[in-house]
Amino acid sequence: MIQVSGKNYRCLDDIQKGLKGGDLTSVQLVQAYLREVKANTHLNAYVEVYENEAMTAARDLDERIHTSSAKLGPLFGAVLSVKDVIAQENHHLTAGSRILEGYTSIYTATAVQRLLDADAIIIGRVNCDEFAMGSDNRTSVYGPVRNGEHQEHVPGGSSGGSAVSVQVNTCLASIGSDTGGSVRQPASFCGLIGFKPSYGRISRHGLIAYGSSFDQIGVIGKKLDDVTKIYEVMKGVDDYDATLIDPLMVEDRPIRKKLAYLKDAVEHPSLQPEIRETFLKKVKSLQARDIEVQPVDFELIDYLIPAYYVLTSAEASSNLSRYDGLRYGRRSPHATTLLESYSKTRTEGFGLEVKRRILLGTFVLSVGYYDAYFAKAQKVRRLIKAQISRVLAEYDGLLLPTTPRTAWKLGAEMSPVQIYLSDVFSVLANLVGFPAISLPMGKDVENLPFGIQLISGTFQEHLLFVYSKLILDDEDSVVETI
Amino acid sequence: MQSHIYEPVIGLEVHIQLLTQSKAFCGDDISFGAEANSQTSTISLAHPGTLPRANKKQVELAIRLGIALGCEITSTTYFDRKHYFYADLPKGFQTTQDSRPICMGGTIEVGEGTSRREIRIHHIHMEEDAGKSIHDQSSEGSLIDYNRAGVPLLELVTEPDLRSSEEVYQFINKLRQLVRYLDVSDGNMEEGSLRADCNVSIRPKGSSELNTRCEIKNINSARFAARAVDFEIRRQSEILEKGGTIIQETREYSPGDDRTVPLRGKEEAHDYRYFPEPDLPPLSISDEMLRKVKSSLPILPAQWHNKFTTEFGLSIYDADLLVEHREIAQSFDTLLQKSPDIQPSLLSKLYINKIIPHCNESGISIGEFEVPGQHIVSFLELIETDKISTSVAYQKLWPALLETKEHPQLLAQKLNLIQSFDEDYIAESVKLVLIENPAKVEAYKKGKKALLSFFIGQVMRKTNGKANPQITRKILQSELNSSTD
Repeated sequence: MIQVSGKNYRCLDDIQKGLKGGDLTSVQLVQAYLREVKANTHLNAYVEVYENEAMTAARDLDERIHTSSAKLGPLFGAVLSVKDVIAQENHHLTAGSRILEGYTSIYTATAVQRLLDADAIIIGRVNCDEFAMGSDNRTSVYGPVRNGEHQEHVPGGSSGGSAVSVQVNTCLASIGSDTGGSVRQPASFCGLIGFKPSYGRISRHGLIAYGSSFDQIGVIGKKLDDVTKIYEVMKGVDDYDATLIDPLMVEDRPIRKKLAYLKDAVEHPSLQPEIRETFLKKVKSLQARDIEVQPVDFELIDYLIPAYYVLTSAEASSNLSRYDGLRYGRRSPHATTLLESYSKTRTEGFGLEVKRRILLGTFVLSVGYYDAYFAKAQKVRRLIKAQISRVLAEYDGLLLPTTPRTAWKLGAEMSPVQIYLSDVFSVLANLVGFPAISLPMGKDVENLPFGIQLISGTFQEHLLFVYSKLILDDEDSVVETI
Repeated sequence: MQSHIYEPVIGLEVHIQLLTQSKAFCGDDISFGAEANSQTSTISLAHPGTLPRANKKQVELAIRLGIALGCEITSTTYFDRKHYFYADLPKGFQTTQDSRPICMGGTIEVGEGTSRREIRIHHIHMEEDAGKSIHDQSSEGSLIDYNRAGVPLLELVTEPDLRSSEEVYQFINKLRQLVRYLDVSDGNMEEGSLRADCNVSIRPKGSSELNTRCEIKNINSARFAARAVDFEIRRQSEILEKGGTIIQETREYSPGDDRTVPLRGKEEAHDYRYFPEPDLPPLSISDEMLRKVKSSLPILPAQWHNKFTTEFGLSIYDADLLVEHREIAQSFDTLLQKSPDIQPSLLSKLYINKIIPHCNESGISIGEFEVPGQHIVSFLELIETDKISTSVAYQKLWPALLETKEHPQLLAQKLNLIQSFDEDYIAESVKLVLIENPAKVEAYKKGKKALLSFFIGQVMRKTNGKANPQITRKILQSELNSSTD
């Protein structure tokens, strides 16, 4: 929600009506957001604010809105922030890492280009965990991001800056990336909607790779409608990403009014009691609204985290090989030989968590360990996918909490493994490549928000949106009418 | 030294640069000789966020070569990442194929007759080239040219089936000939379009063990490969003779002093950490694609060779020369099909002695040869029907034909080259020759019969080559013999 001249604009639809009706100008809108940006600098959400550029774009848009012949893109009036892992030409891009210090991208990510072409305005680049590796936005070279409503707490990660930028109304929505929950988990921690489409839905061209077979661009917003509109603009085939699926090849399927929930997730010992209670209440309320909701077993649940971290670390160790300081980015000034240049540049340029994952990934791909770790994890991934696919062949969607607990304190001492384990419910959707959404579900005794997550079959995003409306307690919406 | 008791065991890895327009995983141009780093892009320089996309032409050319070599084409093939750090490798890994190469098996034949052998191919895989490090152009450090980074290659790996440098030489030449026939590669070894790594070990003759091998890397000529292998066999034999042991190492051949030397800065044992490239989905090779490629294959050198030797009765030597290039074999065959009366061996001699050298000298292809086919045919008819002698035809008529492109029959008349069978005319010249060379006549009569060909030559010169050699010989013999009395 953004307030301009005493009027509240809750969603993109409000804004577009305001702009067209003359109650609101794009310049006023961007100015209002920029005020919020400035009022919230202590949260450290933004790495760079594109003030002049956003104002120029706003003036240009205002001119076109008042030219009757001008065609407006579907996202006119949408002011967005973009995570510091997505490329835009002539803009810095650093993935929250020292190794990309001073790097300016020389091309624009397909997703960003489509947003710009649809008349969205990008207000700035937001903070995140280094190379999107982290669950609380504490690994960024720019320092941690604070949760906007609970400033002693983390916002979640890795798209922490994205979540907070939306949470405190510095933009309508934010473009993040989700490799194991990096969009959904911070959305859950900040009381927002976080949506990760199917793997192969949105081009990764221009998204800095972390785990190539897991990464997907996603959206964090406050309103479902805004999120879906932004998604619709970004999705679709692109010559620059060979892993995209042609939508014509995807079968549509009818709605069965049947959802499943993972019993093993709800009974998981790590789950915070308030989340469990609220979740079960939610299940009941859906059942009361004529949706069949059944518990299903998923005994592989404790294999999710090991499989995920083995595979993503392996891919990360490979994907991050290119950062050597030779062609771009920061090169260590202390090296005299090529080998030294590699080791010093990477030692000085990467942070602790990134190094940990590079080492882990290098290890699991090494001769003698490949079969025991990487190949085994791939098998586990296939088993998980087969099992979840069977469930989603029978049910329209799968419900589970987004996270086992709410946001922890900024200063909390946690081991890497403790942090990894907190991703247990969100990594599932990336392991199987299916679309998933996190919706605000409730708050715990400390008033910290938490979310409910819905996963649907691959390329069945429309099912997610149908049920999301229901789950968000939109009393007017009934499944059949959509 | 008793190196003859050893037998070499040789396997080859040949890198073949493909005739595509662009790089293996992006649209950069790949033409040879461009300004350094002018053929690069965000993708080939591995900028953050860039992804590869497979070049369809690379896949098609790999299948083309695979089918021609009798390989099995893998129905679902994929790329792998091979990791190592080097300045000319932008991504920190090479995109290649490890566990599922596109072609498996296949053979290439070397040797003739009883020494003919089939060399088995282990596999052919697709990969990309690295950039080029230049260490000697700047005092401040090394320079890197990334134009070559990402250029599509095939790597053909043989079984350790080769047993001599001669076989290595033949294998590389046959492969080069084939890739040219298929338009898979320009096969230009000087420009690095074809580069061979030779793995050489030796063992006692008759043994079947495989011993420690040395790899000689990056040889860009078939001749150098043969020489490098010869040197390596000698070197390893000498070590074993002295009771030493061969160390497994990578060496390079230095043509200047014709020896192999260990590569400086010996690499540590690499762990390449191969794993399937997640950014490129597996490629399914459909039956339809296989059929399409199969039907587009040209007639292959072995097929031409077989036809030329069995159907046309040409010698192996002639056939070898004619099948060297697809266009030559094709044009030779076409001409013969059009003129079934021509003797194939006559045409083949003309190709080998005149037409092919002429084209090579003037730097034109056989298709651009200026003399029309029907003129070539009537030129040969003049020889076959004895209207003109072979030597006159080659020495006098051919140059005139090349110059004027006139009809050979008319041209021969115009130049007064048609053979004379007129005995009086020839006898006149014979008499003159004998009068002019009394000493030689004397010598002949004393028994130096070999002088007959000298007299024939003189008569030919007098008659401008027109005298029929058989008649000339007959008259000369009777004149010389009669005057003994």
